[in-house]
Amino acid sequence: MPAAVLEQTINGLMSGSVYVLVALGMVLIYGVMHVLNFAHGVLFMLGGYVCHFFFTRVTGSYALSVLLSMGVLALVGIALERGVFRPLHGNLRNQVIASLGLILVIENLVVAVWGPNALQMKVPATEQLVPLGALRFPLQHLLVILVTFAVVAALFLFLKFSKPGTAIRAASQDRLAAMVVGIPVERIDWTTFALGTALAALGGALIGPLFLVFPLMGDAPMVKGLAGILLGGMGSVPGAVIGGLLIGVVESLSTLVLPTDYRDSVAFVVMVLILLARPQGIFGVRVRGED
Amino acid sequence: MRKALLLVATVLLYALPSLAAGTPYLIHVLVLCCVYAIPAVGLNLMLGYAGLVSLGHMAFAGIGAYAAAVLMVDAKLGFWAALALGVAAAGASGAAIGAVCLRFRSHFFMIVTLAFGLMLYSVMNNWDDVTRGAQGFPGIPRPAPLGSLSFGPLQNFYYLALTAALAAFAVQWRVVRSDYGRTLMALRQDERLAAARGVNAMLYKTSVFALGSAIAGLGGILHVSFLRVAAPATFNLAESINAVLIVVVGGAGSLAGPALGALVFVGLPEYLRVANEWRLVVFGALLVLLVLFAPRGLAGLIPSGKK
Repeated sequence: MPAAVLEQTINGLMSGSVYVLVALGMVLIYGVMHVLNFAHGVLFMLGGYVCHFFFTRVTGSYALSVLLSMGVLALVGIALERGVFRPLHGNLRNQVIASLGLILVIENLVVAVWGPNALQMKVPATEQLVPLGALRFPLQHLLVILVTFAVVAALFLFLKFSKPGTAIRAASQDRLAAMVVGIPVERIDWTTFALGTALAALGGALIGPLFLVFPLMGDAPMVKGLAGILLGGMGSVPGAVIGGLLIGVVESLSTLVLPTDYRDSVAFVVMVLILLARPQGIFGVRVRGED
Repeated sequence: MRKALLLVATVLLYALPSLAAGTPYLIHVLVLCCVYAIPAVGLNLMLGYAGLVSLGHMAFAGIGAYAAAVLMVDAKLGFWAALALGVAAAGASGAAIGAVCLRFRSHFFMIVTLAFGLMLYSVMNNWDDVTRGAQGFPGIPRPAPLGSLSFGPLQNFYYLALTAALAAFAVQWRVVRSDYGRTLMALRQDERLAAARGVNAMLYKTSVFALGSAIAGLGGILHVSFLRVAAPATFNLAESINAVLIVVVGGAGSLAGPALGALVFVGLPEYLRVANEWRLVVFGALLVLLVLFAPRGLAGLIPSGKK
């Protein structure tokens, strides 16, 4: 494999991993509550800032900061589910509009608190280089990929075999039937929201040391995550993983033949073309948004 | 009663520059209110009446603005011809892109419109030869004089923006009170039932997407002609989201909604003189509260004459 292709594949897998973390959270929340949370990107960004805060102000340990950031964002997720999304249950349009309002609130609160400039997070793993074939990559690149794969594996096991995981799957398949058999769906709602926002925080905390922490850092991962979800098939967890990775690798490889300025558009062109040909996505459950 | 009120308000708006002479700042803010209200009218037709939540609306305002800018600066076309062609370009691209987006529904539709909005923004931002790229498109002329009326002075530009906004509201009123508008509302309420009654849903939805985009184009052209420069950031995702917020805060599906929304979005923070990030915090919070407690927006809080 030529070095340039290998380099872009690794880069693509890394950004794809971040998209996967965002997409997983959104797809879990969508599955259980039918909420499409457009504020997921700013929660990702908030995760990066909270991690930065713990890392630079409280503890010097990066791993601990990442975990603390996930915990804080899980609490934020629970608060949002309780305060905003639960009262709007069943009203798709208003939930989406409320999530757009949350983007403004959270993004600009972050600017008010931390300022508009990008912050640096000096984590040792960004300096350390790992040889891979003819190339050398920062350890953090590989860490992002490995941590994501581990989290995806753990999430699959959790959803497949644990009792709360089974309850989440049941609630997303048929909410009413889940209630009938005694699953506390409201508890499932906030658990899923907390899980989703914690995954977003993990994404922000992992990418922060590589590409700085700044107010708009969540925008691209959010829209690419959405593209990944649609590509994989709305409501499908494996689809979100495959879709997110695919978007990351395709857009990264596209830079070998196209100007990098249009890198961001490649993901959407691929998404729209595939959806027109195969509206249910790769692992499709729902067709073109019809419920 | 309502008609009289409307008439008084219109006369007042036209008389304002003479009444409040020597307050260019106020007139400046009102011009901005107008150029924000016009695209919001287009979106209100789509979102409020036809139920189509587009998250890429301002990109179509951008198509109109950049098309007119290229026609005026590079093709040396007059302002009014460029205005007409720019509006037509926005409408045509709305029809073409809308036809693709409308093959998807509800959440999918939103995501696909968002994707197209980002793609169009990327073109505006990167196609340096035509759009001048991220630095913006400088040297856009003010509207050509009509007879002896020149639009260089702020006060006269205000008259033009106000007239354009009123025209957009008049179009909205005509559409909403027509069979066409009633069909759109029927589609929003129950598309299957409307289709069963013989309504060509795709045709109606595509046409309102095109109409909304054309109106957005009008707003975009006036916006860049007022600022004398077109910048991609005027038409990015954040602005598209702001357009949704203006419509919803004002009251989606109400005739006066876009005007109230634009007034609150542009006017209130100018009045309060708060920093930009706090204005958006307040606006976002206001939006969430309205959606939670007053889903019909500000217009819904005003008691209507007929019950």
